[in-house]
Amino acid sequence: MKEPDTKNTTASPLPAGLVRPWEASPFSSNEQRLSVTQWLLTLAIMLLLFVSLPRLWPLIEDFNPDPDYRMPYTLSDDYWLYSQYCQWAAAHSDVMVVGDSVVWGHYVPPDESLSHHLTGLTGKTTQQTFANMGIDGIHPAAMAGLLEYYGQAISGKKVILSFNPLWMTSKKHDLQTDKEFRFNHPRLVPQFTPRIACYTESIPNRLRIVMERRVELLQWSSHLSTAYLDKMDLSTWAMAHPYDSPLGAMPFTLPQPKETTEQHPSWNARGGAAQAFPWVDLETSVQWQFFKRAINTLRDRSNTVFVVIGPFNEHMMTDKSLGQYRLIKAGVETWLQENKVPYSMPAPLPSDLYADASHPLAAGYALLAQQLCDDASFKSVILSPAEPD
Amino acid sequence: MHFHTWTFLPFFLIAYGVYLGVRTSRFANLWIVIVSYVFYGWWNPLYLAIIAYSTLIDYAVLACMVKSSRKKMWLSVSIVNGLFLLGFFKYGLFVTENINHLLSAVGSDYALARPERLLPLGLSFYVFKSMGYLIDCYRGHVARETNLIRHAAFVSFFPILLAGPIERAANLLPQFRDPRRVTPQDMADGLSLFVVGLFKKVALADCLALYVNKIYASPESFQGPALILATVAFAWQIYFDFSGYTDMARGVARAMGFRIMLNFNHPYLATGLGDFWRRWHISLSTWFRDYVYIPLGGSRGGPLFTARNVLLTMVVSGLWHGAAWTFVVWGALHGLGMVVTRALERHPFYRDKCPRLAKQIGVFAFVTFAWIFFRASTWSDACLIVTRIFTSGLSDPACPLLFIALMGGVLIYQFMCDSSLRRYLMTGSVRVSLTVLMLLYVILFSASGGQAFIYNQF
Repeated sequence: MKEPDTKNTTASPLPAGLVRPWEASPFSSNEQRLSVTQWLLTLAIMLLLFVSLPRLWPLIEDFNPDPDYRMPYTLSDDYWLYSQYCQWAAAHSDVMVVGDSVVWGHYVPPDESLSHHLTGLTGKTTQQTFANMGIDGIHPAAMAGLLEYYGQAISGKKVILSFNPLWMTSKKHDLQTDKEFRFNHPRLVPQFTPRIACYTESIPNRLRIVMERRVELLQWSSHLSTAYLDKMDLSTWAMAHPYDSPLGAMPFTLPQPKETTEQHPSWNARGGAAQAFPWVDLETSVQWQFFKRAINTLRDRSNTVFVVIGPFNEHMMTDKSLGQYRLIKAGVETWLQENKVPYSMPAPLPSDLYADASHPLAAGYALLAQQLCDDASFKSVILSPAEPD
Repeated sequence: MHFHTWTFLPFFLIAYGVYLGVRTSRFANLWIVIVSYVFYGWWNPLYLAIIAYSTLIDYAVLACMVKSSRKKMWLSVSIVNGLFLLGFFKYGLFVTENINHLLSAVGSDYALARPERLLPLGLSFYVFKSMGYLIDCYRGHVARETNLIRHAAFVSFFPILLAGPIERAANLLPQFRDPRRVTPQDMADGLSLFVVGLFKKVALADCLALYVNKIYASPESFQGPALILATVAFAWQIYFDFSGYTDMARGVARAMGFRIMLNFNHPYLATGLGDFWRRWHISLSTWFRDYVYIPLGGSRGGPLFTARNVLLTMVVSGLWHGAAWTFVVWGALHGLGMVVTRALERHPFYRDKCPRLAKQIGVFAFVTFAWIFFRASTWSDACLIVTRIFTSGLSDPACPLLFIALMGGVLIYQFMCDSSLRRYLMTGSVRVSLTVLMLLYVILFSASGGQAFIYNQF
């Protein structure tokens, strides 16, 4: 390889033997001086590593989801893993069920979630399998980002997209406040435009997030940190485990979720009272704008999108609040009809099948799955053997 | 805006892209001034007024100086102006607190109001650069720059604006006058320097900072081993932090076709305190040598006179670093160390028989001990740390093995650089491999926070 030219390069000729003072200063105290050729070689190696490392990693990391798999709560913000799971689910499942904690099954084990019951119900007839693509705690603004940047594998599939009105129950949930608000999954929301006033991340960090979305190696690095280093960078992890080897912390097997078997009581059994939610207007709702964006992202990838609205816990609302909620539902329905998005609006579940304002209990999921399977639109779009759009 | 943050990347790509287009035109220096002001103003646009003020005053003073027969008077105006800026922004609080202590000691109820001002980033660096230029002009060592844009570019040149090197006018100003040539090798050199600096900062300095900050935040909670390890870690942290900044600054400048002086040269391999200061923050130590030590008389008098000059120079150097008594003590310790090692080096046994490694270990131990006063938040903390190092018991320091391995790895590399093994480091395959490893480490494992550089506060 050609070594760097250590002779001085001058802008204008000097008498022989004379060196300009600033050119007499040594290059550096170390030997890390690369020639142009060496830099080109370095960049080529880096490019190779950028492409190959995240792709080779799945060969050594043990990731074998079962049909009821859902992203473990502790790995909720491991978006690289989510993209891997999308690839797996796209190859192994017929229908992707996408949404927040309602789809994920916040109060129930994986074998009681909506996707599990849908698979169970349709298994006897159309033999379709439903993948639980929910993320606990995600909201529409983050969901739109998740699908856009990490859900590319969901393409040409049938997708059930859950619309949870919970995110419109207040200006805070709807990300409309000007005051800083630490919401979930900030790495998935738009970093610059459209501006979210309550999001106050520094510009360097926003730029890093934007880079991470586009560079898979950075996503993979984030995966290592989330999955093995307790969501810390290497130095912070070393501080917490001073005598441990970082390599020892990577067993190449993803942490298994600690699933609860505890039966959660219903909201009214816990003495819950009817609430007057300060609903936001559909027209001005930030989360609704992002939900529409998520639909468009999915449709742009040739997916057949089917929206499930709610069912929100209407028993938990005051009459006035219920009236506002119905207006929102009507508005959502109108938009879906206008844009030819098939949907289902299941009837509210019995009161004691809700754990809180939006999450069904295990029996609630079973009933909801049954309601969907009985829905004509659902049957024709999701259960029919027709090819996707 | 710091070199190691993501904000710098788009800034530099735009600044550099345009620069490459205009570098041979008459707009090159104007573009440098514009991007330098954006770079500096990014942190706080209000402080652009200070650098603009400093630039204009010194430009005007120089114009008056060359025409006037009272050159010394005009030089004094500039020096007083520079010292006023430093005093107002940097030492105001220190002076006020000390006056209030004195007033309180004599039983007075009166107290001066505490000035609540932020120290503009890099103030000490560009004030010293400008001051050195005026003194050189006064001495006739350099010619006055008549072009205001070129003068402003010299003062505000963004790669070295925030933390030096404090480049001399004789070196830097002519480079703004010459037609600029940027060769592919300049770009490669710039990248080489930048990557090493980035690695030093984000992979080494910021990593060690975690341990140092934890221990120094509450030294009363830790015992000897942890305090010793934290102090050694700080010795390396500040070296990686500052030399990392310098490498990046020199790399950015190099990519733009500028040659900036070397500021660090393996200081922890020094065999004496004088040698240490010829390797550590070279631009500052030579500045003090030329503009403080030599004017004080240097070594032209007897040993006592020389010792006085060394001590005075080092105390002023300590005060330059920070407005606190801990910095004064740190400077004084170095002054004393220099006087002692100068005396030792005159002794044939020490000079010829004492093993080089023993000298290096001795200097490192002394410098590391002095860092306690530099790093401690207060004088009482510094005393507490020194006391506890020698009197407290032994306990698990919980210093990550990873950090010790990193420090050890760099030390081995430096010893190799300084020995006959150097030839192995010079092979292309070693260079490329090390660069790939550094880049991978920075991308995959470094913290994303982007901690500020230690020397920016000076």
